[in-house]
This record gives sequence, structure tokens and C-alpha cells, in this order.
Amino acid sequence: MAIKFAVILGFLLFTLGFFGLLARRNMITILLSLELLFAAAGINFVAFSNLHQNFEGQIFTIFLIVVAAGEAAIGIGLLIALFKVKKSANVDSANSLRG
Amino acid sequence: MIVFVVLVSVLIVFFSIMVVSLKHPISSAVSLLIAFLLLAIFYLLYGAEFVAAVQVLIYAGGIMVLYLMGVMFTDSEWIKITRQTHLQAWLALFLVLVFFGYFGHKLYHSQYPAPAVKRTEISIAKKSETEKKLPYLQRETNPRSVSVALFKDYIYPFEIASVLLTVAVVGGVFLAKKEV
Repeated sequence: MAIKFAVILGFLLFTLGFFGLLARRNMITILLSLELLFAAAGINFVAFSNLHQNFEGQIFTIFLIVVAAGEAAIGIGLLIALFKVKKSANVDSANSLRG
Repeated sequence: MIVFVVLVSVLIVFFSIMVVSLKHPISSAVSLLIAFLLLAIFYLLYGAEFVAAVQVLIYAGGIMVLYLMGVMFTDSEWIKITRQTHLQAWLALFLVLVFFGYFGHKLYHSQYPAPAVKRTEISIAKKSETEKKLPYLQRETNPRSVSVALFKDYIYPFEIASVLLTVAVVGGVFLAKKEV
């Protein structure tokens, strides 16, 4: 029963993060929504690690956090680069490639 | 225990809704911070103590500070005057609801049995002389087991992760520093 709670919670977080990723205009909020997607994956890893009684899921969660840290560093770099060029954190302002 | 799981889950979902719905990025970031601290409690309830500690230290302590610095570097004037969602938000809401309905139904009606075959136990290193003298080190704790598995069976991914982090830091500094 506990595993089902974790799967549903992970799925809810994934859905919310997906919506934030598609609907928001501020790049910081988009990156925060991306963190919600990472958290959803982490919840599933830990819950199934608990179900199967081994440590692989927890180790994968640690690597997931490593990847999230790298993603945050690159994302903030891109955010500052966008802000330097367009003087705004709005992703709609990055439309130079629009035909 | 199941009461705690439900309570923490409800709070995590509430603060995640705050993340995607609040207007100012600082409010979103602080909501996400609270959600991550609650997520650490969730990990504790599922028996992952080391991951919970890493979640608090790295995520709540490191990554969220990085995001708050990002908010500081960008202006917040336009937030007050313009709307915060795309025109495509309604389409996105529709797509997300379809996704939610279909996969939620699938996930709710699936079964998750524990595997019949016992998986191979992760080997534990031999106890040294120091550990024999100090009996509290002989207890099999979660951080000990995770670190033994991490440094014995997953040593190559661990080293590759350090390379990944170095590349990410150099790339982030390069992107933020570049004169354009």
C-alpha cells in the first residue's frame, strides 16, 4: 500500500512540474518546475528501493541529485546569459530564431 | 506510519502547487525549498536515511541557494506588470489533464508485487580491527550500506559523476561570464 502512495505522489509531482514547464514564462520558475520532475523520479527510485529491499534505488537517487546539481549550474548560467542579451528573464524574449 | 506518509504527501503536493502557481520566483523558490525539506522526511519514512541527508544538504542547502542567487541576478520589475503564463497555458493544462487522467488510471490500477526471487545482497566490506574494538561501528546502518555499495559496486559511475560536475561548473561559469 505504501508503494502506491509513493507512485501516486511521484506522478502528481511529475504532472505539476510538466504543467509549470509548459505554462510559465519566467525562466527561473521553469527551472524550478524541472526540479519537481527530478523530485518525482527520486521518489519513485526510493520507494521501489524500499519495495525490493536493496540499495540500487538509493544510489541512483544520489546520482540523480548529482545530475540535478549540474543542471542547476548550467541552467543558472543560461539564465544569466539570456538576461545579459535580452535584459529580461522572460523566455518569450528569446525569439531571435523565430521565422 | 501510513498517516505520516499521507500527511507529508499532501503537504508536498500543496507546496508543489504553490511552486507552479505563485507569481514571484522568490515565492516559488521558497515553496520548493519547503517541499524538498518535506521530501527528505518522506525519504526517511521510506528507509533512505542517507538520501534524506543528501537531500537536505545538497538540494535544500546548495541548489536552492543557487536558484535564489539566480533570482537576485535578474530583475523582477516586469513580473509586476505582465502576466506570468503563456498563451499556450490552456493547451498545456488540457494536455496535462489528459496525461494525468490516462496515466493516473494506469498507475492506480497496477500491482506492485515484491519480486519472488531475492536479489543479490550487496557485499559488505570485512570489518577492520578498529571496528571490532568499537562495537557501535558494527551496526548495519543505511549510510554505511549505501556508501559501501557506492564505493565498491558503483565506483566508476561515482568517478564519472565528478567529471560531469566539473564540466557543468566550467560550462555554467563560461555561459555566465561570456561577453556578448
